[in-house]
Amino acid sequence: MNDPKVVGFVCDWSVALAPLLDGTRLRELPSVRVIPVPCSGFVRPDWLEDALTRGADGVFVLGCPYGDCLNREGNYLMRDRVDQLRRRLQRRRIDPARIHDRTAFLAEVRAFLDRLRALAAAAPKAPTKMPAPAAAEGEAR
Amino acid sequence: MAALSVLFAFGIVAGEATDRWFFGGALVGALLIAYSVIILLLRKMGVVGPRKSER
Amino acid sequence: MSVTAPPPRSPYGRLMTGVLRGTIKLDVVINRIYPSDFNPLYYTGGLANLFLFVLVVSGIFLFFYYEASLIGAFASVQYLTERVPYGGIVRGIHRYAADGFIVAVLLHVFRNWFTDRYLFARDNPWISGMFLLVFGGFVGFTGYQLVWDERAQALTAMFLAMLRTLPGGAWLARVFIGGSGISDATIVRALYLHIGPASALYILLWWHYTRLRHPKIWPPAVWVLFCVGLVFLLAGVIPALSGRPATPAAQPTAFPLDIFFLWPFWLMNWLGAAGIVVLLGVLTAAGFAIPYLGWRERPQEMDVRHAGVAQVIDGNCTGCELCYYDCPYNAIVMVPSPAPGFSRAAANRTLLAVVVESRCVECGICIGACPFEALELPKFLERDVRARVLEAVQA
Repeated sequence: MNDPKVVGFVCDWSVALAPLLDGTRLRELPSVRVIPVPCSGFVRPDWLEDALTRGADGVFVLGCPYGDCLNREGNYLMRDRVDQLRRRLQRRRIDPARIHDRTAFLAEVRAFLDRLRALAAAAPKAPTKMPAPAAAEGEAR
Repeated sequence: MAALSVLFAFGIVAGEATDRWFFGGALVGALLIAYSVIILLLRKMGVVGPRKSER
Repeated sequence: MSVTAPPPRSPYGRLMTGVLRGTIKLDVVINRIYPSDFNPLYYTGGLANLFLFVLVVSGIFLFFYYEASLIGAFASVQYLTERVPYGGIVRGIHRYAADGFIVAVLLHVFRNWFTDRYLFARDNPWISGMFLLVFGGFVGFTGYQLVWDERAQALTAMFLAMLRTLPGGAWLARVFIGGSGISDATIVRALYLHIGPASALYILLWWHYTRLRHPKIWPPAVWVLFCVGLVFLLAGVIPALSGRPATPAAQPTAFPLDIFFLWPFWLMNWLGAAGIVVLLGVLTAAGFAIPYLGWRERPQEMDVRHAGVAQVIDGNCTGCELCYYDCPYNAIVMVPSPAPGFSRAAANRTLLAVVVESRCVECGICIGACPFEALELPKFLERDVRARVLEAVQA
């Protein structure tokens, strides 16, 4: 797989999306499609699961840096829900590493795509690996 | 670690408040600031900090 | 959609967006030094509360020694500073914690203003916060008055001049100094005007916190230690001292000013009493008006972030309380479910979620929490989201 197909939910407060997007795709990484949401806490794990089972190679949720959610707790709640989703998906053999929840942007998305490529290149039942923490670099609006 | 030992020196002198109240008070302050730096360094080293699942 | 080019912003909107960028860039710099959950700028409210606590504790100590009369005020403060062990330190702590309080509150005001945290239903904590700022500033001023040195005397005279420019000024002046001239009653009145509003601050703080779930009341331990240490250090290194005692004949012309609380009096050198009253009035009114007149973006620019207050879908709600626990603004309450209800879920539940619309900021966290699709944002429905997901995976 050359370019993993990725669907991302991005908190509209945390990233100034308009200059980075071309329609709903990222200009720099055209296989990534972005859905803006009013808070990272708005995202239901159902939708992430939906995207993964319908053909996306990976999904991500991005929000404000931890401690700075505009709505105070949304990103922490999102983290907890995504952790639960990862645990649930393990039972269904959907690799939890296909889900990424962090609070930085382009560099992280690129890194995530690289990890997805590595996953696909390895054996089908590759051991799961949680994304490594990265420095929080919110791109300002 | 070197920073830690220098900061401990503050602690020793801080105990030495011989009726020079302003001096002693200032050293109490310096000591508390030193403690805050120590905790910050510990946090950066990973000795204290959030639960594993929250990293 | 904010994915298409937004309409051009107003000049004010462009200015505030630039300011927002600067604020976030500052965060990025600080987040390189501190872990992001330690960044002090995320705890500006907590820092203010910490300094307030230090003020109250040190204030109780000072109150113990204070004597409220014209001669006694100065003398008791001198006694405390020079003769009581660590008395001067506690006085210094009180003074520097007050400065720290105002700095923290101003950081809090500016940060919340520049990062759009006053929108929708968050005007309520903004208003209570503005009251806190005004009361806090006044309490600081009366604190300087209590020392009753030449500076205090001059400040009192200047404040009386300010009061007299207002309608009903003569009466206000009499209330402020407890009579028609400076007397012992003035000091008693100043003490009341110091401690009374300071206690009112805690009532205002209750109002300020009451609509938040898990308000960040205290900063992280690193910052508690640092700030308490800082006030001790400053108190020792730069002792807080009185000027010369106030006498009726004194005509002080220059004295050191604490810029945080006493800047209006400094500006009075150029603007005069009436000018300062007008300036303070304009600033206060502007401050209160920010959530109503000072939006950075127009509503149509806000797209998904302004999707309407959350609505409960009665038929789906099972009364599980997840939305109630997760709402950061306490905007969801659980009520006993009216029988028999519209659906199976309604028949089997005991509680029903209800959105308090005056508290909802349209964030959608409750939608994320609900496993039963019983909540919706009116302009960004779940089926809209699923449609976008489908479109995204099929391309």
